[in-house]
Amino acid sequence: MRRTLTLVVSGLVAALLGILALGGLSAAATATDDEAATEARNVSETAKRAGKQDPYAPEVYGTR
Amino acid sequence: MVERHTTVDAPRHRTARETLPLYAVAAVVTVVVLAPLAAPGYALLYDMVFVPRQPLSWDLVAPAQSLPRAVPMDALVSLVTQVVPGWLVQRLVLGGAILLAAVGAGRLVPTDRRAVRLFAAVAYAWTPYLAERLLIGQWGLLLAYAALPWLVRAALDVRAGRDGALARLVLAAAPAAITPTGGLIALGTVVLLVPDRARPRPSALAVAGVALLNAPWVTAALVTGAGGSSDPAGVAAFATRSENWAGPLVALAGTGGIWNAQATPASRAAPLVPLATLVLLILAGVGAGLLRRRLPPGTGVRLAVLAGAAYLLAALGVLPGGDSVLRWAVVEVPGAGLLRDGQKFLAPYALLLVVCAALGAERLLAGIDRDVAAVVLVGLLFLPVAVMPDLAFGGAGRLRPVSYPADWRSVADRVADEPGEILALPLSAYRAYPWNPGRVVLDPAPRYLPGTVLTDDTLRVGDVAVAGENPRLREVRRMLADGRPVAATGVRWVVVQHHVPGGVDPAALADLQIVHEGPFLTLYRNPAVPPGSVAAGHARWAVVAALAAALLLCAAAAFSALHRRPTAW
Repeated sequence: MRRTLTLVVSGLVAALLGILALGGLSAAATATDDEAATEARNVSETAKRAGKQDPYAPEVYGTR
Repeated sequence: MVERHTTVDAPRHRTARETLPLYAVAAVVTVVVLAPLAAPGYALLYDMVFVPRQPLSWDLVAPAQSLPRAVPMDALVSLVTQVVPGWLVQRLVLGGAILLAAVGAGRLVPTDRRAVRLFAAVAYAWTPYLAERLLIGQWGLLLAYAALPWLVRAALDVRAGRDGALARLVLAAAPAAITPTGGLIALGTVVLLVPDRARPRPSALAVAGVALLNAPWVTAALVTGAGGSSDPAGVAAFATRSENWAGPLVALAGTGGIWNAQATPASRAAPLVPLATLVLLILAGVGAGLLRRRLPPGTGVRLAVLAGAAYLLAALGVLPGGDSVLRWAVVEVPGAGLLRDGQKFLAPYALLLVVCAALGAERLLAGIDRDVAAVVLVGLLFLPVAVMPDLAFGGAGRLRPVSYPADWRSVADRVADEPGEILALPLSAYRAYPWNPGRVVLDPAPRYLPGTVLTDDTLRVGDVAVAGENPRLREVRRMLADGRPVAATGVRWVVVQHHVPGGVDPAALADLQIVHEGPFLTLYRNPAVPPGSVAAGHARWAVVAALAAALLLCAAAAFSALHRRPTAW
């Protein structure tokens, strides 16, 4: 009984991690070039609205 | 607990059946991370710049006016791209780095359990450290990261007096030493792990060999006109960054914490990430004793000192008083600017963490049912990916190849016909091109165009400007700021890059002749300056001599390793 319970709990945790991993991989795989560019644009606009340096301005190496 | 034989302590020939799963898993991880590179072109992101054929110019071999941050890396790329196209070199180094990191870590774990090796392989190839250094484009550092497990293994073999170990050590350290940081990591590893009073000669030879591999950049640093000090503003700008609520020290404990938010996978900001770090640390704590027992006496302590030193170096910029020490050092101690971005030294810590965690998993599972253990190990294999899935597919689309506009080839051809100093305008170290959308990249001009290319070396991190070291650039910047025309700066060529913010005042381009005008680049010739090649000088030849000596050492080590006999030296 204890062995079965351990096996079920371990299996559930492993399955959860597997789903998270595979789900994340799918999301990463479907990220298109346009989406990456859009995300960068959004980050730029958010930074500008907040009065911060645009991290994608060409002269900026990055922001902390 | 069942003690198993160690492979570090007693190497033996493995069958393909034993090693194939490790290589297969490493290959899968490599493909998953670099899948976008199946498309043609060049992935250009932050410091990662590859061009079709990098010229073998003096400034790439031995920079005269800037610090040798890419020595001898640039010289080697220039040599290789004379025969192999740049796009292929990029794929080989990135693919090789991830594959060899995974296989090396898997092989380093002293265990006979295949699943434990696989866990170590996946965990080491899926660290925040690897992700962040990949996303900031520092591929030279990734080679050092990949070489580290092989270097540690070779160092232990040298201590054990195994045949051919010295040659393997040199060959493992060579990829690391293509950048100053990697070279220092390799040297530190060898200095800490190899010395043995009972075997002074091999120990001295190992240290001397890796020191010689560092000679090119050390020589270049000694002869450059850039001086040895750096702007102390860089200490705070490049200090370890907190990824989430847990602070920078926890970020480092999980092997993350790079200073640049744009080079950090978004998943690292998740509130549960510190919990995953805690799981990893607990596993490592459980496995540390097992590692100590399975390694030769004293080796575990040496590895711990190496990892501890790496962590301390990485954390120095955020420790109380540490930032002051660093600020003083980068100004007063020549070359100490290398320590500003301390997180890059974290690789040995990452390796020990992964190896200990793998052994911790083995130890925890040793006493439980075989089926349960198998399920838990499968879950552990998924853990690094589940915590940071956005490393996959080139950091979820951040690493995607593009093609250079035809302008670049045209300008390179024109400049090659009449060599001379080239100024890239507008002044900016990094560019965001419309043909490389959503990405910032180091100006490719110094690597694409033949000759000495002057690009701005001021690094802007948020609102902070970290001054560069190039005295010639400082002079040009001052002249332009004074409103003097570019023609007065003494450069032969001026490349004006379009579609980038920060235009160039037309008045500054007075007296220059347009020789190429394209949609992305315009090339101007300065008729006041005659064409002429850069004089080499003794100092630069000294760098070439150091590079030649390092390459000869590698060739001798390869020859010796191939013949499977002890090295003659």
